[in-house]
Amino acid sequence: MVYNYIFIGLLILVAAAFAAGPLVAVALLSPKKRSATKSETYECGVLTVGESWVKFRMQYYLYAILFVLFDVETVFLYPWAVSYGGLGFFALIEMIIFVVMLLVGLAYAWARGALRWL
Amino acid sequence: MSPFDMTMTPETNLMLAQSIYYDKVDLWLWIRWGLYLFAGFFGVFPLIVAYIVLAERKLAARFQDRIGPNRVGPFGLLQPFADFIKLIIKESIVPKGANGFVHLLAPMLTLISAFLVLAVIPFGVGLAPVDLPSGVLYMVSVSSIAALSIFLAGWSSRNKYSLLGAMRGVAQLVSYEIPQVMSILPVILWAGSLSMVSIVQAQQYDQGWFIFSPPGILGFVLLLIASIAEVNRAPFDLPEAESEIIAGFHTEYSGMRFGLFFLGEYLNVFAVCCLTTTLFLGGGSLPFQSYFAGRAEHMLAAPFDASKDQILKLNAHHEFPLNPGSGFRIEITNEAGRSEAFQVSHRTGNDLYLLANRPVDFQAGANARVTAAARPDFASPWHFSNLIMIPVFFAKVFFLIFVMFWIRATLPRMRADRLMAFAWKTMVPLAIANIFLGAIWYEIVIRPAGGYGHKLVGWAVTGPLTLAAIALVFRINRNSYQANDPERRPTLISRTGESLLAATTQGQ
Amino acid sequence: MIQALFIALSAFGLLMALGTVFARNLVNAALFLVAFFFVIACQFVLLEAEFMAAIQVLIYIGAVTVILMFGIMLTRNIQGDETTTVSKRWRLLGLGAFGTVCTVLVLGINAYQPWTDLAVRPEFPVTKDSTTPRGQAILSMTPTVGREMMTRYVVAFELAGLLLTAALVGAVVLAQHDSTDIVNAKAEKPGTEPAVTGS
Repeated sequence: MVYNYIFIGLLILVAAAFAAGPLVAVALLSPKKRSATKSETYECGVLTVGESWVKFRMQYYLYAILFVLFDVETVFLYPWAVSYGGLGFFALIEMIIFVVMLLVGLAYAWARGALRWL
Repeated sequence: MSPFDMTMTPETNLMLAQSIYYDKVDLWLWIRWGLYLFAGFFGVFPLIVAYIVLAERKLAARFQDRIGPNRVGPFGLLQPFADFIKLIIKESIVPKGANGFVHLLAPMLTLISAFLVLAVIPFGVGLAPVDLPSGVLYMVSVSSIAALSIFLAGWSSRNKYSLLGAMRGVAQLVSYEIPQVMSILPVILWAGSLSMVSIVQAQQYDQGWFIFSPPGILGFVLLLIASIAEVNRAPFDLPEAESEIIAGFHTEYSGMRFGLFFLGEYLNVFAVCCLTTTLFLGGGSLPFQSYFAGRAEHMLAAPFDASKDQILKLNAHHEFPLNPGSGFRIEITNEAGRSEAFQVSHRTGNDLYLLANRPVDFQAGANARVTAAARPDFASPWHFSNLIMIPVFFAKVFFLIFVMFWIRATLPRMRADRLMAFAWKTMVPLAIANIFLGAIWYEIVIRPAGGYGHKLVGWAVTGPLTLAAIALVFRINRNSYQANDPERRPTLISRTGESLLAATTQGQ
Repeated sequence: MIQALFIALSAFGLLMALGTVFARNLVNAALFLVAFFFVIACQFVLLEAEFMAAIQVLIYIGAVTVILMFGIMLTRNIQGDETTTVSKRWRLLGLGAFGTVCTVLVLGINAYQPWTDLAVRPEFPVTKDSTTPRGQAILSMTPTVGREMMTRYVVAFELAGLLLTAALVGAVVLAQHDSTDIVNAKAEKPGTEPAVTGS
């Protein structure tokens, strides 16, 4: 079973080489005329104003946390789904309890307005 | 109508001919892998993707009542090569202060993730590059790397608009990944396995395409929408739209670096369509092929118990291509649900001799009901049904890609807040409801008789439930569409209750 | 061959971990950490636990790294080159602690099973046991995890669900605490609009 992953490892290496190939060709074939104007950051054609950072909003972090929690829930759901055929009715009830708990959390976030992106 | 008469008796020990499980890496496997890698992955797929790009341009043109590129070759067929040459000879400009290594790494990560998804997809019988036992989970985890690559692209450009676009892009990808992985769950429930090959086999021989069921239809639609959002295509292409935030996370990418992003995006489109085809459309199988699968039920003459390296004799009195090397093997299932597959060793007249290279124990009692079916041997790639399965598979994939192009040409871009609200408030509850609808379908249709159960009863029960779930979710969401209600415009209000927009007009 | 693979992978992983600790820029440190997570996933594969490997990539690289990046950007001016430096005194103490941990690990592992015996991975023989639950567990992990989770470890599973919900509620409460409340305000009747009405 491990030997299957050797193919995956080879695939990663060859894909990286495949992506690097055209870049090598670019390094060989393209002109290299550097200038100060070309290397500036782009801001609709005018000079950049202000520091190069953005005001961070809490929405990004909240979405990331919600994603982690539902991802972990999915990780619990996958083995349950695979072994569902050999389990009885009680497994369904247990999973319903688990999912309902998380849905209650989602409903709370929804009602508190945490899911709003403004 | 019984092809087999199961008088199985274990013969005395004979040596194994070969193992049908690839436990060891032998020369044939290296050759196979080499062929897959170099002819398939880095030869055929980039060509397909290049022509998908051309097809999109021409189709979008036709949707807009014009002709696409038609100058370069006959009907513009050499356009991808012209684009490639143009991108290579352009200067690659990197903004000053940008982290050069990360700037290069980001598009490579997208490409690598798309190739890794393609590595588990069964394109035909025995044609999955690797058949991982946890294929679906592997595919899900590999496609979650794409979010990271977008963030790296935006961060390494040292451009605040790039960064903003990248963060929005990551938020969008992360939000739509949950419906994507959850909509696959009913499929896994029904197939009972995470291996892609098993899922295709379940659709091909047992249950028919998974889309032919109400939870399947809902899951298919959810997977398609979530996948369109995951690959940043319209109407979800806010992070990379040229008119929105300059060009989002790939503002500072020019020349071949942008070309790599472009290639990666369309490769992702191809990979995601292949995935949807495999999971819901039975990748490679014809629509009602499961009704013609050879299943037969028999009573065992005597329960048998064979240890390793034994030969089982099966009396098959039907003309059936069951010779060794024909690409078929015999799968025997007892009523407890255990099944074992046996390779055909040799055949004399009506007697089939099967190799047992794993110990089997079908001592299920005197009245053991056992079924036998002939299955293609997925270990042998030179199977004649590939001549049909590969074109059928690609026909389905290209149809789904056409649907994606059609959606892009038709629908306008979604606003950021509606995009997020749609993911979290509509799709996640629907996906969760779909899981339990899938469980209900399983209980009605699959558990009683392995896919041949009461499909009409299943439709009658799950159909109204599915419609009710969709109606409920949309009704809950109806009140949060602020745009519908002109009296409920959002305002900024500080803690003490005074409006922070008091000095300005109310945006008439 | 697996042994050589393990050694190479571990050496690479150690380099990535050292890169995480010594990198100046925080996002570079996070990238080294991503590589280290990937190395851990490869180690899981070598141990024939591919379910764990897939979950490692999915949760750690897919989700935790995103949170880490957002966290870095929340608290720092990331495009500026704020570096993290450690004073000399703490460096010596750190080295001492590292040496202690290494010694304890080496002596402990060596006492449990001598180094020389670890050279050969035990083959899992295909015997009559392949059909038992334990045999099936070793041959394919995911259905076993599901089965055990639903029968033997149900209470832990439900408690994990409770923990996740608590984390969700806590995150919502904390995040809303110090941002301005954005509410839907019903517009007042036209005659009593306080703002300037453009006509």
